[in-house]
Amino acid sequence: MIRYLIRRILWAVVLFFAVTVVSYVLFFIIPANPAKQACGQACTSQDVKRVAHALGTDRPIYVQYGKFVKHLVIDRSLGYSYFSRQSVNSIVGAAAPVTASLVVGGAILWMLIAIPVGVLSALRPRSLLDRTSMTFVLIGISAHPIWIGLIFAYFFGFRLHLTPITGYCDFINPSTDCGGPVQWAYHLVLPWLTFAILFAALYVRMIRANTLDTMNEDYVRTARAKGAPEWLVLRSHILRNAMLPVVTMLGMDIGLALGGAVFTETVYSLPGLGKTAVGGLNNYDLPTVQGVIVFATLAIIIFNLVVDLLYAWIDPRIRLA
Amino acid sequence: MALLEVRDLKTHFRTDDGIVKAVDGVSFSIEKGKTLGIVGESGSGKSVTCLTIMGLNPKRNTISSGEAIFNGQNLLTMSSSDLREIRGNDIAMIFQDPMTSLNPVHRIGHQLVEAIQLHRDVSKKQARARALELLKAVGIPRAERRIDDYPHQFSGGMRQRVMIAMALVNDPDLLIADEPTTALDVTTQAQILKLMTTLQREFDSAIIMITHDLGVIAEIADDVVVMYAARVAEQGNVDALFTRPQHPYTWGLLGSLPRLDTDVDRLVQIQGQPPSLLNPPRGCRFHPRCPYVMGICKTEEPHLMPVDGDRTHTQACHLDQTTKDREAEKLLAGTMAEAS
Amino acid sequence: MAAPATDVAPQETAYAAEHDGSDLLVVENLKKHFPVTRGIIFQKQIAAVKAVDGVSFSVRQGETLGVVGESGCGKSTMARCIMRLLDATDGRIVFDGRDITRLSRVEMRPFRREMMMIFQDPYASLNPRKRVGFIVAEALEVHKLGTEAEIKRRVQELLDVVGLNPEHYNRFPHEFSGGQRQRIGVARALAVNPKLIVCDEPVSALDVSVQAQILNLLKDLQSSFGLTYIFIAHDLNVVRHISDRVMVMYLGHAVEIAPKSRLYAEPKHPYTGALLSAVPVPDPEAARTKKKIVLEGDVPSPINPPSGCWFHPRCPRFREGHCDVETPPLYSFSDGQFAACHYPLERWPLTEEELRHPSSGRAS
Repeated sequence: MIRYLIRRILWAVVLFFAVTVVSYVLFFIIPANPAKQACGQACTSQDVKRVAHALGTDRPIYVQYGKFVKHLVIDRSLGYSYFSRQSVNSIVGAAAPVTASLVVGGAILWMLIAIPVGVLSALRPRSLLDRTSMTFVLIGISAHPIWIGLIFAYFFGFRLHLTPITGYCDFINPSTDCGGPVQWAYHLVLPWLTFAILFAALYVRMIRANTLDTMNEDYVRTARAKGAPEWLVLRSHILRNAMLPVVTMLGMDIGLALGGAVFTETVYSLPGLGKTAVGGLNNYDLPTVQGVIVFATLAIIIFNLVVDLLYAWIDPRIRLA
Repeated sequence: MALLEVRDLKTHFRTDDGIVKAVDGVSFSIEKGKTLGIVGESGSGKSVTCLTIMGLNPKRNTISSGEAIFNGQNLLTMSSSDLREIRGNDIAMIFQDPMTSLNPVHRIGHQLVEAIQLHRDVSKKQARARALELLKAVGIPRAERRIDDYPHQFSGGMRQRVMIAMALVNDPDLLIADEPTTALDVTTQAQILKLMTTLQREFDSAIIMITHDLGVIAEIADDVVVMYAARVAEQGNVDALFTRPQHPYTWGLLGSLPRLDTDVDRLVQIQGQPPSLLNPPRGCRFHPRCPYVMGICKTEEPHLMPVDGDRTHTQACHLDQTTKDREAEKLLAGTMAEAS
Repeated sequence: MAAPATDVAPQETAYAAEHDGSDLLVVENLKKHFPVTRGIIFQKQIAAVKAVDGVSFSVRQGETLGVVGESGCGKSTMARCIMRLLDATDGRIVFDGRDITRLSRVEMRPFRREMMMIFQDPYASLNPRKRVGFIVAEALEVHKLGTEAEIKRRVQELLDVVGLNPEHYNRFPHEFSGGQRQRIGVARALAVNPKLIVCDEPVSALDVSVQAQILNLLKDLQSSFGLTYIFIAHDLNVVRHISDRVMVMYLGHAVEIAPKSRLYAEPKHPYTGALLSAVPVPDPEAARTKKKIVLEGDVPSPINPPSGCWFHPRCPRFREGHCDVETPPLYSFSDGQFAACHYPLERWPLTEEELRHPSSGRAS
């Protein structure tokens, strides 16, 4: 197990740097001049040259990359934004909790929907419940989050005034009008719902399929042959085995979403990582974009590792291999 | 006094293509301490018969009728909760594939204790002690350590022993074994069969052994039911069946077996395939494949009749007695021809 | 034939001396080890699964060699090595006089026409997306053995020969039963007129009545086309019916090789005896009186095989100090029978007493 862990961590480090290299290279392929962008319209070419020198964008690509790595590893700093001169650490630091709130809350919501619906559909295949939930699944997967978000925002926010339309409120700091847990949750209700619908649909389908497969396994028949009541068969034999693959998927999906749930954040104007990355791209702000990529990559790698270890812990066949 | 008496058992499944008559009028009985062998090929209905008795068929789209009288009660009309009390307790069942019949994420100790605590009001500690006792009885080496192992840490033969232990843990009166050794090597099969007969003597339980292997039947059964296409073709005492078989299907089964003790150039073949249970053939279900088919076989279904007035040996075939005896003689002579 | 006195590759010398040029296939000391690796960055081999660990035998033109053994004995792996579907770790495979052990893919091409295989699972061994005609014709097309029309005619001929309706040329596998699918497998193997057909448990997955049909078919085809078979099975009854000689395998080794009549009437190796007595006989009288040898325990792991004789931990005749120290070579007995045992069975059947106390041994 330790050997496996060490090997995974080493590969993770290699992968991490590979991702940063690729994103650097991609950035340099885009025909743009960040110095000019940062300087502004009024700048002369002389000014632009000076800005470029200050920002360090006139050095060759490998020098710039080398400096980036040095800053990252030694100073633990992601550099400074070309555009706003803010430290990228603080930009990412401000945006990450927003995305995290959205994703984690959304994940809890989608699992709360998907597990009961998926399991019940599997227990009564082709019943009315099953057919209804499969229709819901179809809609959830086909409808685009932006479309769903706009519809929700329009009906629940604008027409019925049940929830706010846009904006994010901080979890802490109850003194202002928009602050504290209640406001935080209130502003996130629609975003959570929008974000969760697509994933809930996917997971209902997956959980239903897994449960149906598990129900047909021989060991479930053995449990019934022992005289176990249905609730025990369900809890002890069906659910535990059916949920195993769901754990893996969940970890990966959360890791991925932490990189920026762009659509939902855009519709509801949540200042999360997705919005930050898009803004950075528009301004050719390499450090900011790179900062978001670093965070996202780290999140995905860590979550994948956690999920693999969790799976090994839950499934004894892998654990003792 | 019969421990279990099955009368005219029928199980029909509703499917998209129509009604599949998986079991269509099967009757037999078994007494305490005896072994009944149910033999047939795939699709004969042998497994479904026992699943119906145990109430293990999917509830939706299954229509069962007939009687299965156990301890004076009809298992087929019992409430689910009453039936659950009997399952795993008075009647236990083990299945074919030991690789998949145990839950891979629970330790076998947990699964054994679950079997005990479902039917006995004992503490976990007591249940565990009983589980250990059974594991030793079925011959698991170092049982104290292995009780906390997971199923995948056991070999196929060992897993089947665990299944047997789990079935016997509550001292059932009847053990139903659905092809328990088919997936095992021949030497492992010999071990398991020896174990089962030893435990049968110790626990005085009855065994219903479902198999397609006539050799296994000869080794351990006292009485035999030969099933074909959801019906009984022939049934009787094991010696009677092997020395005086009366149904062409039984002849086909016996003749098509390559044997250690004889040498034949060509094996007896039964032409064609087993029939569809959606639309079984009219008249005798075996007639499309029967080398002795007559006109009456295509229109009229033969009923189970006693052989020469012996009620313990019955068969369902229109052929007259003389022809049957003659053909049976030929078959047995053929197989005895060059016995080494 | 004197028993070889040395223990250096005794199997090879025994066989090389015994057989001449009419052998279609000669296998010498075949080994197939699967490495078990471990390591953080660079995988290092720490052990090996010795699936086949030194098997030698030969098959004459026109005969059927039955290979019998239980799971883990290596018979399927050996079959795949002979067919060059796997590369042998060591040893020699000589087919029709030519050493094919280390031939490249291109060099193997012409030999692939000469040896074909029939597989166990009739449901998995046919591509469900291809029509039956294509499946049977594929080898013919790969080796360019005729025009399209000629190939089609040949396929229909083959379907007829194996007892299927030639009109079903365009059907898919799922439209056939298990027995019929296995016939398609046989037709496929026959298409290129091979010299050798390796049958890997071809009837294990079939019902008894269908099994008989396929066995009869294989026998008929052998006499019609002069085929040579290697027939692998775990069912001793089936092997006896179809084989001329039989080889018993245990844990990657051949423990006994003999002509059929000798093996079943007078087995020499205790494992063969155990296998024979374990087979249920469909005769209640015989079953009651049969003397059974029931082995203890399970087959050991091929990663860590026992020292000396591979069978010694389960052998009822085990002699400490000898059987666990010295690996028995394939001792030679009369009539072409070979058995790897220091204390072979004196006669058959034996009582429990006689089994446990050998009268003498083949001391080296």
